[in-house]
Amino acid sequence: MKPNRENRSLIFLTVVAAILLSLIPLPEVLEPFKPYWVALVVIYWSLETQGTISLGLAFLFGIILDIFSGSLMGLHALSLVVMVFLVQHFRPRLRFFPPWQQALSVLGLLVNDRIILIWITALLGEPIPTWKYWLPPLIGMILWPWLFLLLDRIRAMSRQHKS
Amino acid sequence: MQVHDKNLAHRESSGPGRWFGEEGTRTARLMIYILLSIVLMFMDQLGQYVPRIRGAMELAFEPVFHVVGWPADALQALEQRTRDRNDLIAENEQLLQQMLKISGSVQTQAALLQENQRLRDLLGATRGRPYLFQFAEMKKVSLDPFSHKVWINAGVKEGVVVGQAVIDGLGIIGQVEDVHRHFSTVRLISDPDHALPVQINRTGLRTVAYGSGETSHLLMPNVPLQADVSPGDVIVTSGLGDRFPPGFPVGEVERVERDSGETFATVYMRPFAALDRGREVLLIDPQAGLKSDLESLPVEQP
Repeated sequence: MKPNRENRSLIFLTVVAAILLSLIPLPEVLEPFKPYWVALVVIYWSLETQGTISLGLAFLFGIILDIFSGSLMGLHALSLVVMVFLVQHFRPRLRFFPPWQQALSVLGLLVNDRIILIWITALLGEPIPTWKYWLPPLIGMILWPWLFLLLDRIRAMSRQHKS
Repeated sequence: MQVHDKNLAHRESSGPGRWFGEEGTRTARLMIYILLSIVLMFMDQLGQYVPRIRGAMELAFEPVFHVVGWPADALQALEQRTRDRNDLIAENEQLLQQMLKISGSVQTQAALLQENQRLRDLLGATRGRPYLFQFAEMKKVSLDPFSHKVWINAGVKEGVVVGQAVIDGLGIIGQVEDVHRHFSTVRLISDPDHALPVQINRTGLRTVAYGSGETSHLLMPNVPLQADVSPGDVIVTSGLGDRFPPGFPVGEVERVERDSGETFATVYMRPFAALDRGREVLLIDPQAGLKSDLESLPVEQP
């Protein structure tokens, strides 16, 4: 599949939706379970389309997320760039995994990302977070197959709409 | 084979791929972006340029934060609309009783205040400072999990300034960190980066309370081993450091850990304020108090 324009606007829309989703306040009990929405959406797009999400675009998304979430500037940018790089690197293999295996790889990616983040926060001298810190990757893994189906559906619908 | 060769030749003849190959180019790009984000993080941490740019961006994107707050607002509105009439009557009753109780104590307080003022006058001390309070509502947009910050719906237009102390009906919540046009961010006292000068009300011992990263307790790691602290002691602000006005309740000592191998005892404190639940907050304006204080002070400069 060649990188084309019909995907571009759809990618931006879904990423913006993911950023909004991650900003919406949840009840205190649910807050630690909030998955890394933007990462999931970015993984989907770089897995399913080739070359549409470049490292630069991932960096840009990360910066936007940093601005909105008030985190250290560049933190999410770094995390998303590394994520996209890894997906691009293993793409030929990941694409043909059965769903459960793909979900496991997503778990791996998200856990790896959390390790990078914990590294940075440790360098900044902030305390090591509690076990709740490791919940979002698990939730991300559980949500992955459903999100995958949903985004596939949205993409098919938009393609039909276009033609 | 031939096709493959041609392909390779084509790839090698153009772009940076000539030197590194495609995989190598991608790695090089990755390195550049990683370096870029590390530089950004450094600059943000050191407070160079980046915070100012971020401030401008936040201002531009202000509407987004309002939009994001809608679901929570809608839920709350729904909850209020569907409340049982009996519940409301009960709550009204309770509030009325509470108000009676408070107005009773306020009456005695007025007398006390006057007496206090008289004594201060006798001693020739400065006048006690009246505080001005300003009401604001928390717009809790969830932020970085590593820092405890909340947003309130008052900003420059409402006269909020950086460093203002924020309280709720029970105790200190935090201090204003950033001020925008119609909203400001407040760093909670439970933030790991936050330090609050406090005093144990019973003994007057001064120390500093640090955020623990959890809203359920604060830490006071610098209390001497033999200090007189016991669970149940009330902690108030000491007013040192000129950020927080003195005498406001902060929390209650939960437990004291005395390890004879350590130099200091660690005191765990449970904050009074509803750090993770409250919605309405008050901003204290110490400057206003100070101003009226200065105006009313007789001219006796050295």
